[in-house]
Amino acid sequence: MQPAATASVKTRIEDVLAVKSLVKSYGERTVVDGVTFHIRTGETYGLLGPNGAGKTTIISMVAGLIPADAGSVTVMGEPMTPTSTHPKGHIGLVPQELAIYPDLSARENLRFFGRLQGLRRKELSTRTNEVLELIGLADRAGEQTKKFSGGMKRRLNIGIGLLHRPTLLILDEPTVGVDPQSRNSILESVERLSTEGMAVLYTTHYMEEAERLCDRIAILDEGRVQAEGTRDQLVRLTGGVDRISLRGSGDTSAAAAELKSLPGVQHVDGGGTGLVLTVRDGPSLLPAIVTGAGNAGMTLTQVAITRPDLESVFLHLTGKALRD
Amino acid sequence: MVGNDLRQRIRDESVFIFSLLVPLALMGVLNLAFGGFGPDTVELKPATVVASNDDAGPLGGALLSALDSLEIMEVTLRSVPAAEVQQETRNSGADLGLVIPAGFTAAVSSGQAVSVQVVEGGSQGIETDVLVSVVDGLLDQFGAGAVAAMAGHSAGLPPEVLAGLGEQTAAGRPVLSLSEGQAAAEQLSLKGTLVAGQTGLFLLFTVGFGVLGLLAEREQGTLARLRSSPVAARSIITAKALVGFILGIVATTVLLTVGSMLFGVSFGSPLVIGLLVVSVAAAATSMTFVVARLVRSAEQANVAQSILAMVLGIAGGAFFPIEASGFVAVLMDLNPVGAFIRGLGISAGGGGPTDVAVPLAVMLGFAAVCTLASRLIPDRGARL
Repeated sequence: MQPAATASVKTRIEDVLAVKSLVKSYGERTVVDGVTFHIRTGETYGLLGPNGAGKTTIISMVAGLIPADAGSVTVMGEPMTPTSTHPKGHIGLVPQELAIYPDLSARENLRFFGRLQGLRRKELSTRTNEVLELIGLADRAGEQTKKFSGGMKRRLNIGIGLLHRPTLLILDEPTVGVDPQSRNSILESVERLSTEGMAVLYTTHYMEEAERLCDRIAILDEGRVQAEGTRDQLVRLTGGVDRISLRGSGDTSAAAAELKSLPGVQHVDGGGTGLVLTVRDGPSLLPAIVTGAGNAGMTLTQVAITRPDLESVFLHLTGKALRD
Repeated sequence: MVGNDLRQRIRDESVFIFSLLVPLALMGVLNLAFGGFGPDTVELKPATVVASNDDAGPLGGALLSALDSLEIMEVTLRSVPAAEVQQETRNSGADLGLVIPAGFTAAVSSGQAVSVQVVEGGSQGIETDVLVSVVDGLLDQFGAGAVAAMAGHSAGLPPEVLAGLGEQTAAGRPVLSLSEGQAAAEQLSLKGTLVAGQTGLFLLFTVGFGVLGLLAEREQGTLARLRSSPVAARSIITAKALVGFILGIVATTVLLTVGSMLFGVSFGSPLVIGLLVVSVAAAATSMTFVVARLVRSAEQANVAQSILAMVLGIAGGAFFPIEASGFVAVLMDLNPVGAFIRGLGISAGGGGPTDVAVPLAVMLGFAAVCTLASRLIPDRGARL
């Protein structure tokens, strides 16, 4: 694991979820290999990796669906296994595949799973109505879900996971196969839940979702955590360099010489009408660069900063692209 | 969970189709094929007997007189010479030809061998069978007279006494008689057998909506959600089994009730029927536990369940009675469908709860064995 992966192996009191040295094999193939991470209250934690990286297997062990071969999962300090019942009351699982009954209405689906989570009578009715409003299905609550669009089913799938106000919401690739509008709605819901204090474990292979939602991210590949940390921590693993493109007229050669002397500028390429600078922390250096170029006689018409993203981190760590 | 499952089963309508409509339709078709929709009793047509009686004694006449006075069918006697009986029977379309030889009474009275020739008519209808049976029975009775006469002869009785003894024995009423039993009869009418058999057969499919429904839940993704809930895994399985059990009881009760009304069958005491229905539903449900351990998918479960249902149903007599002997007979006696049909037969004959103890024990024993086996058989992948 890279230096940014600084997860403590001790369970802290504020940890909602602690996963330690988790291992799972099927035959000769080890699909999860020594995975360790923890999630605190109100934190959104992302598992980012390509298909087959082991994300869903980790989720299955965290949710107590399958046993781990080694390692442990604790939810609110209680060990989670397939036979556990109490810690399961703390989690809300939103599986990757739709997990709703097509012959039941949205309301009936919510009420059924709510009862399984121990909600009763008034609380059940109140929460059902609240969630129906939250997922935008209040006006279609009585319809059988087999008549719903894919996006509506996805929203209901998430709503069921939220119904009992879980301490930890587990979302396994919730936006796969979802139209852009529904996808945005889902992402907004997750952001809102996070601000309300819910801990969220979010798996995805979409870099943009991980960057937008997650406070911390674990980059997974072949069952191992390759690196873990905040977005910025992860990006620094690539060397933390940005590229600044300058376009304009005037004396670009003088500008290049001037800019090369600025602290933080590592490299300057180009000439003619444009320069490309390799710099550390581009945004903070940008004012000095614009001023320096102007002082050297270059009139700028266009400035662009290209920052390294998680895609480049994954490429840097594994030597392959994040996308399938 | 049970209520939720029942609601879904009612809504998806498959339970109505496969548990009620299909068996009722099949009952109708089988009844048409084997017996028609009419009553179980058969109306015998008038019959004609072509006979020659060369016996000078009373027994030959008594034989013809008995045929002529049958209450169950109208019989017309036509006398012809012995040599013409066969041809006349064939040509006239008579139901039976009968040749009573000269000295018939004397032979019977003295215990000597004598033969009455019977010629079956060309129609080969049930009337011919009835007439042959009647003649056969009368000859048996006369034979008893011959045996009595021979016994008397061995004992040294004088000839005039022997003749009287033989005639009295032949003409007398039988000391032993066979009457139709009640609880021990174990016989249902053809229609009753079909209704009971089809009900038992389709019960084996109906209970599959329970435990085997878990496999479908796994495929539609809801099993993961159920198992991530704070509910013990055994509660989930128990709830599913209860669904199959309840559906089985309801479907069986409806099929027996509707089948009884449609086909004019009575199965006897509701209490006994209730005991039988609960027991057979328990046996059928327990079988799904075993199937669930052996299969890997809902598709495999459906195939396995269908094979088991057909084998147990056919072997149990769901379509027609199966006769067997030895070890196979013992195995067939342990078949819950067969036990259910036998139990209904006893109940239909007026039997009470104690009379159906054996069928009940067979069904409940089957349930216990299957439940135990399901705990011992390794799970091949269904992961319930």
